[in-house]
Amino acid sequence: MTHYAMVIDLNTCVGCNACMAACAMENQTPVWDKNKWRTYVHDKEIGVGSDVQRRFFPRLCNHCDNPPCMTVCPTGATQKKANGIVFVDQDLCMGCGACAMACPYHARIPVTRRDMRTGREFYGSDYRRTSPSMDKCSFCDHLVEQGRKPACVETCVGSSRMFGDLDDPNDPVAQMVASGAARALMPHIGTRPNVYYIDDIRWRG
Amino acid sequence: MDVNMTYATQEMWTWWLAIYLYFGGLGAATLAVTFLTDMYLKPNRALVIWGAGAGVILLALGSLMLFGHLLDKTAVLTILNPLALFNQSSAWIAWGTQFIIWMMIWGVLYALPYVRETEFPRQVPGIRELIDKPFVIGTATLVQRFHRSVGWLAVINGVGVAVYTGLLLQSFPAVALWHNPAVPLLFTVSAFSTAMAFLLVLMYTILHDQADEHVRVLYERIDLVLIAAELVILFSLYQYLKNGSESGVRSMELLWNDYGWLIGFIGFGLIVPFLLELKGVMRGWASRVPILTAAVLVLAGGYLLRHYFMYAGVYAYPW
Repeated sequence: MTHYAMVIDLNTCVGCNACMAACAMENQTPVWDKNKWRTYVHDKEIGVGSDVQRRFFPRLCNHCDNPPCMTVCPTGATQKKANGIVFVDQDLCMGCGACAMACPYHARIPVTRRDMRTGREFYGSDYRRTSPSMDKCSFCDHLVEQGRKPACVETCVGSSRMFGDLDDPNDPVAQMVASGAARALMPHIGTRPNVYYIDDIRWRG
Repeated sequence: MDVNMTYATQEMWTWWLAIYLYFGGLGAATLAVTFLTDMYLKPNRALVIWGAGAGVILLALGSLMLFGHLLDKTAVLTILNPLALFNQSSAWIAWGTQFIIWMMIWGVLYALPYVRETEFPRQVPGIRELIDKPFVIGTATLVQRFHRSVGWLAVINGVGVAVYTGLLLQSFPAVALWHNPAVPLLFTVSAFSTAMAFLLVLMYTILHDQADEHVRVLYERIDLVLIAAELVILFSLYQYLKNGSESGVRSMELLWNDYGWLIGFIGFGLIVPFLLELKGVMRGWASRVPILTAAVLVLAGGYLLRHYFMYAGVYAYPW
């Protein structure tokens, strides 16, 4: 059985935001609102005085094995595939926002009818969305089904984002997770996320 | 992993959700209390009609708040279907929707025989014709035969609505203020306390019947106990928040440093009405004004609780 996961190496993320752009164009997200990107790279200055480091922290849906956004979804619009990808059935979603309230990773975003109108102008006749919904990252499942990787991974210049199968012991992603080098965010909440981070040694040192 | 946390409140569910939770709890508990009073304490036609009316109208208004903020209103049809529960039994909104719908249906049915006996609805065009239709008369006769069963079905769904309002918030694991067992308890106790207050206002103003004095006294005593329980739950919640996770500590700081919460809700919404009702229960009041004041303060406090609760939920983001 395939169990998709992503590892993000914070040491090699240069904050170019190409992942954000690739995701937005691939999934036609509302780029005109900075709060509505499926993936976002936070830029933070850490330290005091002359000893300041910039840390780029990409975030996205963690495709949890125990996704609270799915358990609170009253219509069943948020679903999980056998391969671990959590996705939204746009036609079922009524947009109550319970998923956004439940998500500890700030990964659910409202796409409104106004966004759809802007989207039709911005993306032109190729615009695919047919109804408003609480949107989220889908690990680009339409690309994954074709044997490709999510758009953010394919475009990452520093190879910071890596995508793989946790159930394949030969997959580098599985090995990084098994070794403990890549770790999940906030595991104490019990969501069992499938996005793992390699700490930036530079800052720790 | 070393992370630099960011702490943030949310803007997704704000005052309008607080109104939904408030009207939901108040309406459902009012319906449940009036029906139980009618079934086991003293048959009271006026109280049942007001209880059912308040339940249906407040729940309709509250639900409209939520409905108005849905992104895709047509998709709501999915959860109106009772079978949705089989697909999404983990989602409290799915349960809440069914509780609300069935509480309204059984509530209207329970009140129907009383409505047919009452003069006022017969003066309202539309309702007069409706309640004299053969199927309405037949339904009322049938309900009369099983009145207590219908009443219990309404009460069970009403209590379900009141508890659901707290369970909904409790199901969000990222926020310590919400994700703890005190929340459903607090919201349920508050719902019944505000229902008692609502009924006291009603019975001291519009339904001022001397024969109902023992019912009013009972409501005052129950409200006193409920306010005391609310204060105990709040004290426990404070203890839980102040030494728990950072999310909880920040929520505690937001709430207990805010005069609206501290003085508005805890002071005037709980402690002042508690003292007024305590004096009423122990020594009595010469006038109805103090109890009416207490009831109005409890009603305002019920909303403030939910309002501040929505705004004080703190998310801890690891970036």
